[in-house]
Formats: sequence, C-alpha cells, structure tokens
Amino acid sequence: MSRFVFATARYESGDWDSAPLVPANIADTIARYTSIEVAPSGAIVPLGSPDLFRYPFAFFTGHLPVRFTDAERANLAAYVERGGFLFVDDHNHDVDGQFHRTATEELHRALGPLRRLPNTHALYSCFFTFEEGPPTTSHELNGWGDNLVHRYLNAVERDGRVGVLYSNKDYSSEWNYHPQSKRLFAVDNTRFAVNVIVYALTR
Amino acid sequence: MNARERLRRARAVLIAGVVVRAVLGAVAAGAAVLGLFAALEAGIGLPATVRTLALPLAGLATLAALAWVAWRSRAVRSREAVALWVEARVPSLRYALVTLEDARTAGAAVEALEARVEGTAWRRPVSRALARALAGPAALAAGTIVVLALLPPAAVARVGRPREGADLAGPPRGRAARAPIVISVAVTPPAYTGERPFTLDDPALVAAVTGSRVAIAVRGAGARLAARLGDSGLAVEGTAGGARRTLTFAMPARPVALRFLADPGERIVAIEPRPDSAPTVTLTLPERDSVLRAAGGVVPLAAEVTDDYGLAAAWFEFIISSGERESFTFRSGVLARAALDGAPSRRADRRTTLSLDSLRLRPGDVIHLRAVATDRNDATGPGRGVSATRTFRVARAGEYDSIAVEGLPPFEGDTAAISQRMLIMLAEALERRRPRLARDVTVREARDLGRDQARLRRRVSDIIFARLGDEPSGEHAHAPGEVHDEDEARRANLTPEQLLAAADSATTLAAGAERPLDFAADETPVVAINRPLLEAYNAMWEAGRWLEIGEPDDALPHMRAALAAIQRARQAERLYLRGRPPTVVVDLAAARLAGDRSRARGGRREPRGAPAWHRARLAARLDAALGAASGTALVDSLLLLRLDALGRWPAFAAALGRAVADLRAGRDATFALVRAREAVAGESRASPGLPAWEMLP
Repeated sequence: MSRFVFATARYESGDWDSAPLVPANIADTIARYTSIEVAPSGAIVPLGSPDLFRYPFAFFTGHLPVRFTDAERANLAAYVERGGFLFVDDHNHDVDGQFHRTATEELHRALGPLRRLPNTHALYSCFFTFEEGPPTTSHELNGWGDNLVHRYLNAVERDGRVGVLYSNKDYSSEWNYHPQSKRLFAVDNTRFAVNVIVYALTR
Repeated sequence: MNARERLRRARAVLIAGVVVRAVLGAVAAGAAVLGLFAALEAGIGLPATVRTLALPLAGLATLAALAWVAWRSRAVRSREAVALWVEARVPSLRYALVTLEDARTAGAAVEALEARVEGTAWRRPVSRALARALAGPAALAAGTIVVLALLPPAAVARVGRPREGADLAGPPRGRAARAPIVISVAVTPPAYTGERPFTLDDPALVAAVTGSRVAIAVRGAGARLAARLGDSGLAVEGTAGGARRTLTFAMPARPVALRFLADPGERIVAIEPRPDSAPTVTLTLPERDSVLRAAGGVVPLAAEVTDDYGLAAAWFEFIISSGERESFTFRSGVLARAALDGAPSRRADRRTTLSLDSLRLRPGDVIHLRAVATDRNDATGPGRGVSATRTFRVARAGEYDSIAVEGLPPFEGDTAAISQRMLIMLAEALERRRPRLARDVTVREARDLGRDQARLRRRVSDIIFARLGDEPSGEHAHAPGEVHDEDEARRANLTPEQLLAAADSATTLAAGAERPLDFAADETPVVAINRPLLEAYNAMWEAGRWLEIGEPDDALPHMRAALAAIQRARQAERLYLRGRPPTVVVDLAAARLAGDRSRARGGRREPRGAPAWHRARLAARLDAALGAASGTALVDSLLLLRLDALGRWPAFAAALGRAVADLRAGRDATFALVRAREAVAGESRASPGLPAWEMLP
C-alpha cells in the first residue's frame, strides 16, 4: 500500500498556490493523530493531467476567479466519477466573492450543482467529532473578514459519497502555517483536516 | 522385604550418614582455622604474610577432616560390619543378622532366622544411634560458624582476602620501616548499600560511600599521637605501649584531609566520600505541557525511576493553583504512593492515572504534576529525587488561543466604505422621516450629513495622493472644517477637475519625465491607478451638493455610486504573489513522538561549570608543590590538591591520585604529573597575537 500524499491541484487560471504551507501542515497533522502512512511533503498535480488519478485526495484553493480549461473540466469530472475526492476552499473570506462565484459556476458545469452538506454528515464524525459541523475559522471572526460565519459546507456527491467538498470558510488561511508553529495553539485548528482525509481515504 | 534387603537399606542409610558427618567435620575444621586467624588478627594483628596462610590452612584442615572421618568409618563398606553394628544396638536379634550374612547358612535355619529378624523392630534404635553420631559434628560446625560471624567483619575480611600492607604487630619492615606512622583502614559500608566490608593497608586515600564506618588502626613511631579530620579532632584510643592505637569515624559528606600528628612525624590521608546519589526520576507521561479546553477526562502518568543503590518509595504529586491576580489558593495531593519493598531495586517504572473530573477544576486552574522517589539511604539520607514538572492549564471561558494572530491592517478604503454605508443608511432614514419633519429641520440634518460626506471625501482624496506622493495634498484637514493655511484652504475648495489636475502634477513630479507610470493610452496615471476612488470622490462631491441644499433623496444615488466605487477599489487592491511555493518536509517521527529518546536529557539539571579562576588557582598550587616540595611533603601537597579538585576537576584529581600512588611506591611519577598538568591547564589554544604566515619575513 502506497503512502498518502497530500496533493495540491494546479489549475491554469487563478492562484492555485496561494496556501503553500497547508500540505506540510496537514501531513504533520495526519502523522500526529493517525497511523496513516503519510509522505513528509506534498505533491502538486495539474488538474488537467492524468497524474491526478494517482492521488485519491486533492486540495484546491485560490483567491482569484477560476476558469477551467476543457481538459481540466473533463479530467475533474472523471476524477470524481472514479472515486477521487476534491476539497475546494475559498481562500477569500468574502460573501459572494470572485473565487466563490466562479469556482461554484465551474464546478456546476463540470459536476452538477453543489448541495448543502448536513452538519450530521459522517464527514464530521469519522475521526474527530464536530457536533456543530465545520469548525469556525479565525478569519471568519477576526474583524477583517465578512464577520459572517458560514454554518455549512457544500458538496457534490456521487453514489452517496462526497466527491467534491466545497468550503467558504477559508481553511486555506487557517491552516497555512509551518507545522512547528502548531505547538503555539491551545487547540489544534487542523483537526478537521484529519476528518476530511480519513473520509476521503475510507469512503 | 526380607532380612537381607532390610540390612542393605540400613547400610545405605549409614553410608549417607558417614558422608554428612564428614562434610560437617570438614566445615567445622575450616571455619575453626579461619576463626582462629581472624581472632588473632582482631586481637593482636597478624602480618600480611601470615594472613595469606589462613585460606590454604583452612583448606588443608577441611580436607584432613574429610579424610579422617572417611577413614574412621570405612567399615560401613562391609555388610557383615553393618550387621554387627546393628546387632550391637539391638541385642534382641541374637546374632540373627550376622548369621544370615554368613554364606554357609541355608535351609530351614534361614527361615528360622528370617522369622526372628522379622519379629524384631530395630529401625528406631538404629535411627537414634545415627542421629547421635551426627549431632556432635553438626554442633561443632554450627559453633565455629557462629564464632566466625561474631568476629569483627573487617578482621574476617582481612583474613579472607589478604593484601599486601603494613605489619602492625611485628617490627616495621621495608617501606613501613621508613614511615613514622603506619595505618591500616577497615571500612564498613552502610548496610543498605549491600557492599561488603573491606580493608586498606597503609593507603594514601580512603574512598567509600558517605556514612561508611571507617576504623583506622595506627602505629606511630612516637609516644604522642593526635588526629584531626578536617577541622575536628578525633579521639585516638589505645596507647603507644600497646603498640596499636585506633580511631573510628563515619565517612563525612565532603572530602577532607585526615592529619596524623605524631612525635616525630606527620602524615596526611585523603578521606574521599562517594556520595549516594539521589534517585533520578523522569516523567515520561504526560510528555509536554498543555492547555485544556475542558477540565475532564483521565491523564495517564508514567515515570522511570533509577538509583545507584536502591529505591525505597515512589509516587506522583500534584498541586492545583486556582485564582487570578493577587488571590490564589493551592491544593496538593499524592498519587500511587508505593513502598518499593522486597529485594533492593535500582530501577522502577511507576504508572497511574489522574482523573481530572475528580479534581473539580475550574477555568483558569493550573495543575502541576511531577514524580518523586526516595532511596534506601538510612545513613545520611534518604535521598529524594524529583522529576521535571508538567503543567496543565484549564482555559478560561472566552479565552483566545495562546498564539497572537496579528492580521494585516485592512485596506485603507475599508473605513471609507463603512462610513459611506453608514451615511447612506442615515440619509435613507432622514428621507423616510422627511414627511414628518419641518423643512428647516430636514435642511439642518441634511447639511450635517453633507459635512460628514465632505469629511469622507477628503479622506478619499488623501488616499489618492498619499500613494502618489509623500504628503496628503488634495483636501487635507485635521478636523471637519478645519484648515491650516491658505494653500489648504484653497485645496479644500478644489473641484474634481482641479483635483485631477493637481494629481497629474504630483504624479509627474514623483515619477519623472523619463520614467512614466504604466497607464492606458487615454488615461493619465492618476486616473488609471485610482479610477474607482476618483469615481467615488466625484460621486461624493455630487452627493454633498444635494445634501447641502437639503435634498437627501437626490443625494442617495450618488452616495450609493460612491459606495460601489469603493467596493471596486477594494477588489482591485488585492495583490497575490505567484511563484514556486516553499517545500516543507515534515519530521514525521517527531510528529508521532517516535524519535530517539536516548539522548534526551529529560529536564535533568546539569551542574554549573567550575569557574576559570579555580582552575588557574589549582594550576598555580600544582606548580608551587612541584617546585618546593619533595618526598612525603610532595605527596601530602598533592593529596590536599586532589581533595580540592575532586568534583569539579575529576580528570585532574584522577591524575594526581596516580601521581601520589607512584610516588609512594617509589616509581617515576612524571607521566602522571604531566597528565595532571594537562588536565588543569586545559586545551592549548592559538594565541591571537601571533602574526599570520604571510606576514612573516
């Protein structure tokens, strides 16, 4: 069995690399809490490349408007149909921002509409238990953002399984720090990533 | 079982009895010889050469006793002799056994004899006789062993492990003949250490566990003898006429010099205690300090405890501090206290759990955890070791994470946007109330909004010009309606067209004619960069005009246009850096706490290093001793120097010890003294004053 590699999806438009420390930070989290064999650093995989199918989990983020190429759109649809898991996070913390509008449009075109994921979904209890749904990020409440807490995540499901998980909560900013800085937090704010990855690898 | 078989069994029992009797006799003989030598050593002292004979003589006595008993009992090999031995103790047999053993006996006589033997019970008399035969040798062996145990252990040890040393009883010979004071040291370590007593003959230094009983037998050349241990006098028992005097003391906690003052002569012996270390305690669980969001659950505790001689008890302690500012209360408790009885153990692993629910913790409480252990030192202790302390803090309600997250300042237009949104809300409210208000009230409130709108417009213009130059220029004012000089008063009344012209001028000055800013063909640089803000500025200007004449409904479209323009400016302000992201490789072993702990110090404290001046002082004293003293005086000087160097400079002290041993044995001590000199002088270093190679002629 090969090791889990945190893959970041690279797409032609926008800024796919806006959260460069997230892969290592989440790999560190996976190592801390689980016995999953995990690679010590992440990988970058083009969204329109067949290499995407080598990774059961891919992370997708950015601030800027998103426009998929035809190859990216087709490849992403096949990826989700074949069991892949794409975690899309809006690196902005705006309401109805540019990334949100364009990314949801593109996901709709490629995979169909995003639907609200209930906070009782197995995703919130498959490892750690998040009784109130997705954990709130500091960027939702720190005064510089929209001062609005997004209570739900959205998802595209295939055969009862989440294929695309979509977040407006800006986990990209929340998790974008060096793993060694984790010791400064009273509560590890990356624990939700364990649930996402455990869900992606076990469903 | 017929009579002959019974006789064979009786013979086997007698052979076993002979073997036991021989062993008991041998033990008694050997112990008697050793006891005799030990008694003589304790009473009058024996030369080392005599003491070395004790073990061989004891061995010979053992063999002789074995041989003698075996020879005396050789008749047990014969069945006829055994039959006679039984007949002698059971007369009612009337020689039936002996007759049966006769080969010539046969026929009806055998049956008659068998019947007679069968009718006679001779087992008990035979057993009693055998027990009597063994009782004597057993009592003798036990008695000699008891006597040996009652003799002074040091004397027994000196006889059992003889070493070369002083001849305390006879006349001085060899090196001892030249020494005015000759000593023999018997050391009895504390019982808890489990170490055996030992003796030293004429030593230069005595090293033993702190608290050991040290007995020194002295034979001085003169009639008067005094002894001082450090600054304290020691009682010397006995007189010179008795040829032997003794002094006894407990091994002190610090190295000291034992001085003998005789007439004539003086001698120094280094008394070097080996301290019993306190237990080393390492708290392995919990691994680190932490902050608890909720005070519940169970905390596993684990500790590793080691000691150099033996552990007595181990437990966990906790202290809970509650309160804040200047008002604190404390609670403490002990967990899993256990006496480590039984066989002395030098290592123990202790585990238990701490239930946080049972502690009734409140937000803000702090729990301090540590492990404690004591050793078996009943002479100078007990030694007490504690682990590093782990701290758990219960977070207070509403407490932020322990990291301070300092966000970047907001886009400078954000406050303008918020204010513009508020002005719109106020204008809308005024418009809703307008039918119920008098005209003059409407005009007054609308002009108030207009002044706020003008203030906001000036802030937007400051933003525009602050980016292009170093001085806010457009409509700067520190307070509503406040202007400082004529220039500012003039700028406060600029129209948008005049403002743009001024901005163009500022841009030209800032960028220079040869290096224009990047802009579209039909736009000036100021317009290209600040277009959304300039649109907002214009809209605010129009809105202000309508508000000044008391028409908020006409002002609202311009105010909303200003807000939309500011929003566009916010979106345009974002700059995202693209490029190759840094590669961070996670230390997975560290994340999983699976690293190598063998080199971890575990919070153990290290002693502070010795100061440099101490090293320099020791080096000077070594030089002085080597230059001024010789013979016995040099040995004494080096011993005193060693006492001062122990602990802080172990390599130097060890080298001095070897040098003293060489000098006292009459050997060449140059090598050991060179080692001592190197140890105290430190590593050689290049002098910074030497010139570089290329500067040499």
